[in-house]
Amino acid sequence: MAAWALASSLAASALFPGPLPVAAAVVEGVRNGTLPSALALTLARLLAGYTAAMVLGIPLGLGLARIAPLREAVGPLVFGLSAVPSICWLPLAILWFGLSEWAIQLVVILGAMLPIAVATESSVRTIPPVIHRAARTMGASGARLLFEVTLPAAFPGILGGAKLGWTFALRSLMAGELLFVSGGLGQLLETGRDLGDTALVLAVVLVIVLLGRASEALLFARLDGVVTRRWGAEVLP
Amino acid sequence: MPAPVARCPVETPRVPPRTAERFSVAPAGASVIVDTVFTLGGLLPRAPARTPSARQGTALALEGLTFAAPGAPAGSPAILEGFDAHVRAGELVVLAGPSGCGKSTLLNLVAGLLAPTTGRIRSDGRDVRGAGHDRALVFQEAALFPWLTLRQNVEFPLKVQGFSRAEREARARELLALVHLEGRDGAFPHELSGGMRQRGAIARALATDPAVLLMDEPFAALDPHTRERLQDEVERVWLATGKTIVFVTHSVDEAVRLGDRVLVLGDRPSRVVAEVIVDVERPRVRGDQRLAALAAEVAAALPRARGPLALIDSPDAPGDELGHDAPFAPAAPHNTSHEPNSASSSPRLRVGGGLGAGL
Repeated sequence: MAAWALASSLAASALFPGPLPVAAAVVEGVRNGTLPSALALTLARLLAGYTAAMVLGIPLGLGLARIAPLREAVGPLVFGLSAVPSICWLPLAILWFGLSEWAIQLVVILGAMLPIAVATESSVRTIPPVIHRAARTMGASGARLLFEVTLPAAFPGILGGAKLGWTFALRSLMAGELLFVSGGLGQLLETGRDLGDTALVLAVVLVIVLLGRASEALLFARLDGVVTRRWGAEVLP
Repeated sequence: MPAPVARCPVETPRVPPRTAERFSVAPAGASVIVDTVFTLGGLLPRAPARTPSARQGTALALEGLTFAAPGAPAGSPAILEGFDAHVRAGELVVLAGPSGCGKSTLLNLVAGLLAPTTGRIRSDGRDVRGAGHDRALVFQEAALFPWLTLRQNVEFPLKVQGFSRAEREARARELLALVHLEGRDGAFPHELSGGMRQRGAIARALATDPAVLLMDEPFAALDPHTRERLQDEVERVWLATGKTIVFVTHSVDEAVRLGDRVLVLGDRPSRVVAEVIVDVERPRVRGDQRLAALAAEVAAALPRARGPLALIDSPDAPGDELGHDAPFAPAAPHNTSHEPNSASSSPRLRVGGGLGAGL
């Protein structure tokens, strides 16, 4: 913080505001309501897209790990596409859906779903075989085997994928929101750029950082705690 | 722990009726018959409750088993070929043999995790088709579910079988007491020592009261001291429950320490190269000269081509392998245990009086 203040005072430029103007921009944004409403909109999009990505990605990963024909058919596709930065989907999304909510969601879902699917696949595939053999000798099969053995056994890895997916969803969403009048934090960044208001830009970045930290604390810290308590510290994804 | 549930003697009519049980399940109107059965039952010679091996009947019949690993190169020997073995109800049979001789494969076949290429396995008179909770398997590595507490692990097979929560809790409590893990029910597996985990795995395997308990080198990954203590534990649990146990090991000492009968397996394709009857009273004492002599007999029967030295590439101390477990040492100091449960195995000390009698 001190380094930031020092650097900006040395730069003495409107393009590099110090902590105080940025804090003032945050306060102003909250006061006039633009920041909370943008944050709410972004958060709603994020949750919707992320939920869809989880709902699609976990079964996809499970299927890739367990159903050989599926793995052979779409495995290379999924692994290949998961390497594509999600923003690359935006042009296609815009061609398909126009400048709409759907275009943004497509990017978010694709961006988050693929890492979730890949992490789920690898964690299911690497469950020690003895776990399933033990479960089978105890008579477990079908849905019980899936929900009470396979998924819990893969939980630490799936959680790792879920965290990765959340970050990817947030990134994809910001990229998507930057491109058109979307009303979210991304657009607020764009507004700051249009007005040459670097304090506003940095204020929004600050909010995004806080959003990331808060979601980490609210969503994942407890689940990390569960994994640490049950599996021991060394398995934490 | 309640008395083991008697299994219907389908193919062994020689088994005397379990009078108390007949009595308890009979409808009231049949009281005359029940009385008759009860009286007759009392007159029939009955196996003493605490010597399970004296019980009659075949628990497990392996007939003409052949197993070739799928995908094995053509021409390589099958793992098993024409393998025959029978295990009596209540017997503790040990399969001993070098690593890779197919003894684990054999257990997996019995457990139903593998299917034989040809041949037949009958458990309690029924053909084995796939895995089932009537044949419980204790694995070498920790197979407790890491996401469940110890008690939830023991309850898991009961849950699969549809027992109520109250029944599950009561049964889990009993079983954890049986393996001396009471008070640890809330612990997760990673919080337990290796020995405790294996005792937990034994409790879980016993939960559904299986007809046969299969143990696949369950103590191979443990240090020698813990291992000895768990051998005592298995003997004690076996005496208490009368379970039929098939125990696989590559340790000669462990084989004679535990088995009523040791089947020595040869190299692939695996077959029984020797059968050693361990007629030593229980609970047994480590260091008993008769056990040492029998261990030497088992070691001598092991396949020559690879020899007993081939056994040493195991996780445990080499000295544990060859049956030279200090045959003339006094019995007592061998088991200075750090866990409170060792007190339960103290009665075996008096058996030491028989030293040398078998030689």
